[in-house]
Amino acid sequence: MSQVLSPQEDRVLNKKVDRKGRERIYKILERNQFTIPHVDVERAKYFTESMRTTEGELLTLRWAKALKNVAEKITVWITPDQLLAGRVGKLGRYGILYPEIDGDFYREVLGNLAHRDKSPFQVDPDDLKVVMEDIAPYWEGKTYHEHLNKTLPLELRNVTYCDERGLKSKFVVSETSSYRSALQWVPDYKKVLERGFIDIQNEAKERLAALDLTNSTDLWDKKPFYDAMIIVCDAIMIWARRHADLARDMAAKESDPKRKAELLQIAETCERVPSYPARTFREAVQCQWFVQMFSRIEQKASAIISNGRMDQYLYPYYKKDIEEGRITREEARELLECMWVDMAQFIDLYINPTGVEFQEGYAHWEAVTIGGQTPEGEDATNDLSYLFLESKREFPLNYPDLAARIHSRTPERFLYEVALTIKDGSGFPKLINDEEVVFLNSIKGCPVNEALDYAVSGCTETRMPNRDTYTSGCVYVNFATALEMTLYNGRMLHYGDELVGLETGDPCNFKTYEEFYDAYKKQHINLLQKAFQQQVVVDRLRPQHFAAPLSSVLHNLCMENALDLHTEKIPGGVDYSYFEFLGYGTIVDSLAAIKKLVFEDKKLTMKEVVDACRADFKGFEPVREMLRQAPSYGNDDPYADSIARDVDRICQLEAIKSSKERGIHVDVRYVPITSHVPFGKVVSATPNGRHAWTALSDGSSASHGADVNGPTAVLLSNYHSKNYDLINRASRLLNIKLSPKSVAGDAGTKKVMDLIRTWCDLKLWHLQFNIVNRETLVKAQKEPDNYRNLLVRIAGYSAYFCDISRELQNDIIDRTEHENV
Amino acid sequence: MYDEDAKGIIFNIQKFSVHDGEGIRTLVFLKGCPLRCAWCSNPESQSGKPEHAFNPARCLTAQTCGRCLKACEHGALTLVNDMIMFDIRKCVQCFACAKACPGEAQKIYGETKSVREILDLVERDQVFYARSGGGMTLSGGEALFQHEFTHALLRAAQKRHIDTAMETSAYAPYSHLAEACKHLNKLIMDIKCLDSAKHKAMTGVDNAQILENFARVCQDFPDLPILVRTPVIPGFNDTEDDIRAIRNIIPLKATIEYELLPYHRMGQPKYGYLCRRYPMEGKELDKEKMKKLREIAFGLPMDIPGQNKA
Repeated sequence: MSQVLSPQEDRVLNKKVDRKGRERIYKILERNQFTIPHVDVERAKYFTESMRTTEGELLTLRWAKALKNVAEKITVWITPDQLLAGRVGKLGRYGILYPEIDGDFYREVLGNLAHRDKSPFQVDPDDLKVVMEDIAPYWEGKTYHEHLNKTLPLELRNVTYCDERGLKSKFVVSETSSYRSALQWVPDYKKVLERGFIDIQNEAKERLAALDLTNSTDLWDKKPFYDAMIIVCDAIMIWARRHADLARDMAAKESDPKRKAELLQIAETCERVPSYPARTFREAVQCQWFVQMFSRIEQKASAIISNGRMDQYLYPYYKKDIEEGRITREEARELLECMWVDMAQFIDLYINPTGVEFQEGYAHWEAVTIGGQTPEGEDATNDLSYLFLESKREFPLNYPDLAARIHSRTPERFLYEVALTIKDGSGFPKLINDEEVVFLNSIKGCPVNEALDYAVSGCTETRMPNRDTYTSGCVYVNFATALEMTLYNGRMLHYGDELVGLETGDPCNFKTYEEFYDAYKKQHINLLQKAFQQQVVVDRLRPQHFAAPLSSVLHNLCMENALDLHTEKIPGGVDYSYFEFLGYGTIVDSLAAIKKLVFEDKKLTMKEVVDACRADFKGFEPVREMLRQAPSYGNDDPYADSIARDVDRICQLEAIKSSKERGIHVDVRYVPITSHVPFGKVVSATPNGRHAWTALSDGSSASHGADVNGPTAVLLSNYHSKNYDLINRASRLLNIKLSPKSVAGDAGTKKVMDLIRTWCDLKLWHLQFNIVNRETLVKAQKEPDNYRNLLVRIAGYSAYFCDISRELQNDIIDRTEHENV
Repeated sequence: MYDEDAKGIIFNIQKFSVHDGEGIRTLVFLKGCPLRCAWCSNPESQSGKPEHAFNPARCLTAQTCGRCLKACEHGALTLVNDMIMFDIRKCVQCFACAKACPGEAQKIYGETKSVREILDLVERDQVFYARSGGGMTLSGGEALFQHEFTHALLRAAQKRHIDTAMETSAYAPYSHLAEACKHLNKLIMDIKCLDSAKHKAMTGVDNAQILENFARVCQDFPDLPILVRTPVIPGFNDTEDDIRAIRNIIPLKATIEYELLPYHRMGQPKYGYLCRRYPMEGKELDKEKMKKLREIAFGLPMDIPGQNKA
């Protein structure tokens, strides 16, 4: 049979690049796209320089002063051919440092950064010296990570870290708050576009003037807060103005009249925004880019910073410019693509080795949200939504990540173009379902109009930019270890004799499945309780270490209450906390196999299963075969799916208890990013036939190769494993891999549309596709140089296949490819 | 007997099938076929009874497992040079080996299921049918081989408001075909070759009944959408004359579509599992030729845009 290639495969294999109309973009891109990223230390340097001098002041104020120091001193760049200004590092792919999070790792990690096998970085020797002699020493003893490690009581630290300094994750109950300053975030870009920072600053000034300084709260808490707001507005405006000055200088020296004009236009734009309201599409794009880049200087949000509902807040400017003949569609697209190529050069640098494991492939995903509904509930699709899709199809770069909001009345054309873009094969866009998201976000407390206006943020999360107030990095719980601990009386083969969980007895003495399940449940709940306790520590410590004046000045509730966004409780806000479930399919299939084979059919004894797992099935191959034949999740099999629902239910019931206790809302989520690979490395063989130390199932997807009944069954299993009477649930990441052949032609596009419509009917949170031939991936593994630009879908983002580790590559190859379409 | 209680033998239910009828469909493969087409890609469908098959690629080998060897009391499975060999002549189809096999190396093709069981499974995907216009497609084997069961299945499906389609060779008494057509939303039937001698040589049966059935169905069920298919088989019907001849007997009607299916060898490994020789060994379909035949098939006035999608 002849192989059908996806458009992406065709481009990569046959080295086709259509540069027509994109000469500028390709020039910028190809100058530095595939170089090893380097570390730029300026942000850390000037941030630290200021922080040294402000100890004792309100943290938000210190942060604002530090940002102003950075804004005044960091090198400003206007790079060749670019139409936008606002990068925060040297040419090429680069990452910046946030020593306030994990500066205590620098001594161990930084010198070796160029040689690590996952996501390496190069560090200039002079810069390294600055870090080692200047930056790191200040932060030693002061970082968030050290504080957390010191604060966690022993029984929590024992499931969190392997070592005393907390440098090595245990991958059982993993905290993620020490490799990022905050969860993913979306600032209210619309506010800046419409008002500009002078007006926003005036609001802060008015609020400051209205304070009663004889009142101690006003004097000691609110005044410095508003001082900080005023300073941070100055900071971003100073930084923008420096770009205008540079552009004028460069224009004066430029001999090429065309470039000279461009530079003058850049100067004019940077003089206008973000200080004043944007008037044109060009100003709006530049303004957004300044805000987004400055927020990167402010903090390391997870997945960096999302772009929000770009097709909504940019549309008025686009429409007006097009109508008044100020810009063509192609020029608008070029401006956006100028943003994409600069975005692609900024890399989310993880120093913490655990952070690297969690998001491989230089992952960062500044999700651009398109489609969906207006705050009034009308369909929101417009011409810009199509322009984003078109840009992605014709210029498939890994950034930005594209997220399409789908609802029950999504227009056919939008769905068609979404399907067409998905079929290209580079994994864009991911789909987020309004029918689940709006319902859940509003029933948990967000006003409906704001819930309807949510932006996709980070991987599969959502944000209501003026309502959301929860920003702590949340805990990842490896429940596959709970299963393992049920087999070995609270122990794990990887950690030897150490009692990691509870002693629930020798499973060989269990008489019924209920007894086994009960033991599992105890282990599961034990881990979960530890996770919640750990999260409480995180929630309390973070405000002592992190502040976000820029994010706060753009947040209505922060401004009204004079509270930093990272404050534990902000009146009027919604706090949607969560924990991440690792190993769902692995656990469900293991429980189903034990229930069926040991307790119902009695084809195996518990001892045989335990012995086989202990031996990693060596000498027990027939046992493994039998285990693998048992009912499994992902096949629309009620036997397995009802177990999946029960397991989800344990989580939600515990989450309800924790929510009440903490006065916030806690959800179970199934979004591993890439961590199901490292989490699998500590889990020995499991009773679903999975070999020791291999990847766990990812997200809410089936175990590798277990889903043999096609994608409809995968979607239905996901549907039937949810508990609809409970609302302590959020995102479920779901991957479907299809062969390009199965969706070829117009008929194939229609099938993808039908699948998406039905997925929407089923109210599943998220869906993403990999449409690629297995052979292509195998070849790319062997000849990486020929496949440098092959993009694959990982987990809520796409990355270059050759940028990820071999283990993760294998994980993607092993995802079941559905052929039958 | 209630239709839902009727029982028949099927060998596969395949979800998310989109090439056989409208929308996203579930294919039900019924066992048994009166034809013996040399190119048959479902050799396991031909016999009307459950049958044993052995797939060595899925076998753990005698050294690590060997459970089937112990289970076989008839000498059909033996160890030759450390390899498990299957001798169909000695197999009495007792399936002891398949029950002993921990995996799927020793396999039974075919199991008895009631209409209710099948439709309960088919119905699980109904949310997809609703969006895509899909439903259930009966295939085989020959869907009319177990005609009473097939009729019950179709009647019961219609009662459940499941869209129905059926793939058939149309080699069956007309009354069997007609009863099915009453409960079909779409008929998919093969016309393989007009030359009766060639037809008999390559399929084992004469084509007179098939051609008569086609003419009568067209007449008796004027509103029933029909998709006529010709599998293009190298050395059998891959000439321009063959295709043109078939093309000429198909009425020019909006409800009738015509499609050519290029020969493929995806069923070949299964011949090995069943201990049978693949009759088409070494044959291949010329791509250029196929292209030309498609032009002939669709270059005629019947061609309605969007209708002929082969």
